[in-house]
Amino acid sequence: MMTFEKNKTGIWEKLTKLDRRIIYLLLFLVVLIPLIYPFRLTPRAMSPVLKLFNHIDTIPPDKCLIISVDYTPDTEPELHPMTIALLRHAFSRKIKVGILCISLLGLGLAQDAITTVTNEFNRHALTRDDSVVYGRDYVFWGWQTPVLVPILGMGENIAKVFPVDYYGNKTDTLEFMKTIKNYNDVGILVSISGSAIPFYYITYAQTQFGVRIGVGSTAVQAADFYPYINSGQVTGMMSGMKGAAEYEQLVEERCRFYGRRKATDAMASQTAAHIWIMVTIIIGNISYFILKRRQK
Amino acid sequence: MKIRLPLILVLITGILGALPFIIPHKIAQDFDNEFRNSVLRIIAAFSLVLGVGSIIKHHTYKIQRRKENWEYSWILIVSLVITSIIGLFGGIEGDGVLPTRIGNFSFDIQTIYMYMAIPLGATMFAMLSFFMASAAYRAFRARNFEATLLLIAAFVMMLGSVPLSTYILPRLPDFAEWILTVPNTAAKRGMGFGIALGSLATSLKIILGIERGWLGGTK
Repeated sequence: MMTFEKNKTGIWEKLTKLDRRIIYLLLFLVVLIPLIYPFRLTPRAMSPVLKLFNHIDTIPPDKCLIISVDYTPDTEPELHPMTIALLRHAFSRKIKVGILCISLLGLGLAQDAITTVTNEFNRHALTRDDSVVYGRDYVFWGWQTPVLVPILGMGENIAKVFPVDYYGNKTDTLEFMKTIKNYNDVGILVSISGSAIPFYYITYAQTQFGVRIGVGSTAVQAADFYPYINSGQVTGMMSGMKGAAEYEQLVEERCRFYGRRKATDAMASQTAAHIWIMVTIIIGNISYFILKRRQK
Repeated sequence: MKIRLPLILVLITGILGALPFIIPHKIAQDFDNEFRNSVLRIIAAFSLVLGVGSIIKHHTYKIQRRKENWEYSWILIVSLVITSIIGLFGGIEGDGVLPTRIGNFSFDIQTIYMYMAIPLGATMFAMLSFFMASAAYRAFRARNFEATLLLIAAFVMMLGSVPLSTYILPRLPDFAEWILTVPNTAAKRGMGFGIALGSLATSLKIILGIERGWLGGTK
């Protein structure tokens, strides 16, 4: 009897002091297996995503969507699908898009998103009207620093902030820029970032110029933006990979655009990882309470 | 003068930076636009030069003195030089004056970025999840009432932020959303007011030269 009790305590003690490498290995497998054997979980769009989608959907033809690609490679898996989903949405609705980067490392990611989505649209285009054309339907302004220069400057004159675009063209010669001068011509500006850059847009662009702001943030950062959604300073938001997956779902459902949905595909892995972490916490707590009771 | 000059500069630029927000007159606004669009950009360009210079100096020193992990400093300097040359002369996707393709192998700046910078950056960030999982297993215990509340909230958020919850408990995502919208917002707003007032006080102290920690040193 004594040996049995001792063994039982031994198991819980072992569990409490479980080697972290075992936890790492199990988490690795939990993330990996759904990627190898995927299963699709259809996300339901929550209110902040729905608000963002609906606002972009109703941008009038004389206004544009601005996407500020403010994330860096470390948050690419979570945030890049948001940029792609926004571009797909805008191009399928013939909404003009202006793209800029406040973060220098966002340039390559923005370029990748543009190439991916324009190829998707232009692959099946028969005429110039069907195509997504640079300078007419979208512009990539590039990067500008420090942070306040583009954010405040675009309220006055976008072409002055970006005299040349990312490819070296003079911006004021582009057809796009004939109708898009400053924030007055912007339907909404969506800042996608894993840092504090959206706060600058809220504080300066929204408060001073009244431009609508949308946010794409990492899941851990999303809680910081809810006060601004409640106050109306942020029109809508995509939070983390789930937010991106919800937006992808809306684009597919309402715009009938069928492309690769990276965030939705990753949902299975994320779900498995979350459940695994919850299971480990439960096991950790059970062992903690059993050992505590035995100590008494 | 070594201390007085930076203090005077901060006083002037601090006041000039704040004034356009409270004086809507055209002169103030035009001056602010010019200051922001020209002066600030030039300062930023200098800071870039300063940053690159500083990083080269730091790592050269490490190599010369054979400091710990000095070998990695070579990797940094060589990578910096190579990517700078490719970036400056190779164009974005290999359309510059410098050839960036050998057969099917291309090494233009976009390719380097897509296949080196992104995987390396994403790997670093992904490692966090392993540390978080290990830390949660070891430390997340319902030791008292507050910890239990935190644990319940974490469970709701973790389950509510994956689509599976819609299939198991259809109202759970709404509850998770409510936690973010109501209790979280209430706490964040309180913190926000405190931070804003603190920032205002600190900014005033810096502008008026009361707080001098940013000057470096103790004198």
